Amino acid sequence: MADNIIQVENISKLYRLGTIGTGSFRQDLQWWWNLYVRGRKDPFFHLDKTAPPGVAADQIWALRDVSFDVKQGESMGFVGSNGSGKSTLLKIISRIVKPTTGAVRGRGKVSSLLEVGTGFNKELTGRENIYISGYILGMNKAEVAAKFDEIVAFSGIEEFVDTPVKRYSSGMYVRLAFAVAAHLEPDILIVDEVLAVGDADFQKKCLGKMREVSQAEGRTILFVSHNMQAVNTLCDRAIWLNKGQMLEMGPSSAVVNKYIASLQKLQLGQKWATPQEAPGNKFIRFKQVELIPHVEHSDGIIDVRTPLTVKFQFWNMLEEMSLNVGIVLYSYTGDCIFDLLSPALHCHTGMVEGECTIPGNFLNDGSYYITLTIAKEASIPVYNLDECLSFDVEDYRADICYFEKWWGAVRPKFPFRLENHQEVCQLSR
Amino acid sequence: MSVPKVKWDWEITSQTSYWGASLRELWSFRHLLEGLVKRNFLLRYQQTILGPFWILFPPLLTLVTYVLVFGKLVGISTGTLPPVLFYFAGIILWSFFNDSFTGTATTFRDNVHLFSKVYFPRIIIPLSVIHTQLYNFLIQFLMMLLLVAYYWLFQGLRLSLSITILWFPLVLLATALLALGMGLFFSVLTAKYRDMSYVINLGVRLLMYVTPVIYPLSAVPEKVRWLVQLNPLSPLFEAFRLSLLGEGTVSTWQLAYSVLFTVAFFGASLLLFNKQGDKLIDVV
Repeated sequence: MADNIIQVENISKLYRLGTIGTGSFRQDLQWWWNLYVRGRKDPFFHLDKTAPPGVAADQIWALRDVSFDVKQGESMGFVGSNGSGKSTLLKIISRIVKPTTGAVRGRGKVSSLLEVGTGFNKELTGRENIYISGYILGMNKAEVAAKFDEIVAFSGIEEFVDTPVKRYSSGMYVRLAFAVAAHLEPDILIVDEVLAVGDADFQKKCLGKMREVSQAEGRTILFVSHNMQAVNTLCDRAIWLNKGQMLEMGPSSAVVNKYIASLQKLQLGQKWATPQEAPGNKFIRFKQVELIPHVEHSDGIIDVRTPLTVKFQFWNMLEEMSLNVGIVLYSYTGDCIFDLLSPALHCHTGMVEGECTIPGNFLNDGSYYITLTIAKEASIPVYNLDECLSFDVEDYRADICYFEKWWGAVRPKFPFRLENHQEVCQLSR
Repeated sequence: MSVPKVKWDWEITSQTSYWGASLRELWSFRHLLEGLVKRNFLLRYQQTILGPFWILFPPLLTLVTYVLVFGKLVGISTGTLPPVLFYFAGIILWSFFNDSFTGTATTFRDNVHLFSKVYFPRIIIPLSVIHTQLYNFLIQFLMMLLLVAYYWLFQGLRLSLSITILWFPLVLLATALLALGMGLFFSVLTAKYRDMSYVINLGVRLLMYVTPVIYPLSAVPEKVRWLVQLNPLSPLFEAFRLSLLGEGTVSTWQLAYSVLFTVAFFGASLLLFNKQGDKLIDVV
């Protein structure tokens, strides 16, 4: 069993809001007077642990009682919405901000990469920036010199190494900046959302490098990202933070799934008891629409593998009419993915119901909504129930080391044949 | 299950320390210091036509102004020394002090982007500023030596080497420490209160007038001389001229006062800087 390399114990961080920096001289005097002269408690800084978070209007708990251990060589991911305290936590572990209470203990050298291009100066050349940025991130001269060629090669800026970086394209700048950081050799590497910048190709390269660092070289990584696929693949364990508190800790796939499930804004069904309150018109009133995911695994997340059944019921008030129902699926950007038309049915007044199943391994990951359309006599619109169902399809890739957004409106799994025959092929004589 | 005994290398708690980074840690960041000094130089002369000659122009221009205004127009006595040498000595030492102090007094404010993203001992930044200014000073000092040589060769300036030449390194060190001490002290204040930077700009200009930069201490009327002598910079300037040009009004006691003041003030400021440095990032 590997030893713990970081121990985080009951870390809390309180931020004062509002008047910090302006007009606080009076407060500071008051504070000093109360604390040292009159021997009272700090009037501006109550460490009242019983108070629920966010109780005081001018204070906010960015973190509250977070504890965990990280083992040597392990990579730990942090997920959570914006403002959940992920970055604050990484800043505390990087020694940039002080915790309000609690302690972090660790072994070995820590390098933090909270931003791409820390210490870069636009006026200096690539070469000068590599050195200064390397020093700032904690390398020494010999280390930078030894890695210099590798850094330049990784970033692919060979011809521009003696050009001021202000003349670089933003892509080159980011590549160079990441290249420096990627060649650090700390015991613990702290990475915060650096993948948000740069193109897909660059992101792939970064993640590949980080995998290499964690798996081949056995370094410990603390990793914050909004790219769930990356957290899932890169990290052994993950922590889900919400409003400064730790909601979940465990194997990364389990934590990521729970987090995603909490995010999915679902409209998986609507029901109306009487035709009067139901949406529709004098011909049609909807009774029920429903989306049933056939989830095999227990976490209840709709992912690209999940078949989805759309069910609907409506009251029909049209006599002797041939009706079609259409299911129109839109992506969240409003692009129509498909418009699926039912066969025509000759209907009497009464209840009409139907269902249709979208097979698994067909939709790409993303957010979708469904509009139901009803038409009579094959083409005359009767009523559209707009955006009545909405759902998210999450990504799922087993054993694929490819982190970018999968291309395409759909991601079907059609039978695909690939064979290898033994045949001599000669290219050169 | 027994808890494995682990020895931790470091610990981060809410406690802040007066002692700051250990010397060993500082030593491990020596390349950063070196790199920053180099960067300061490169940045200053990037895309300028005259480049590093800019180190020499400002003091020379100031010299011309002083000679014309204070020497010819106002007619302040410079003792037996040629006005050019007298003023130039004052100018270069003052600009060393001034640039070092104002350059370090806004350490936190100017480096938030860095301090909020990466950890290294914060003291490295002010140290790099002082180093840069020290190099500037040495270049200007060479210019001064050239001027002295000119006056000695062609103008019949009498120079006598005496033991006081040994005060020169002491004076330089004390000036640097005092500037750094004041810079560290005010960097904490400017981080918290923005108005402090105005106070600094105004204050340092006024401070020049109670420092024997454009006048010798001996020319100050007896009644207000105590005011100038109270200024710990005064003995340093007088000793500087005494050690190089052989004229200055300073006693060993006054110099000792300066040095003691400097060391005490620097020590206190360093403790304050260390103690507050970790917390300031929340308020800058």
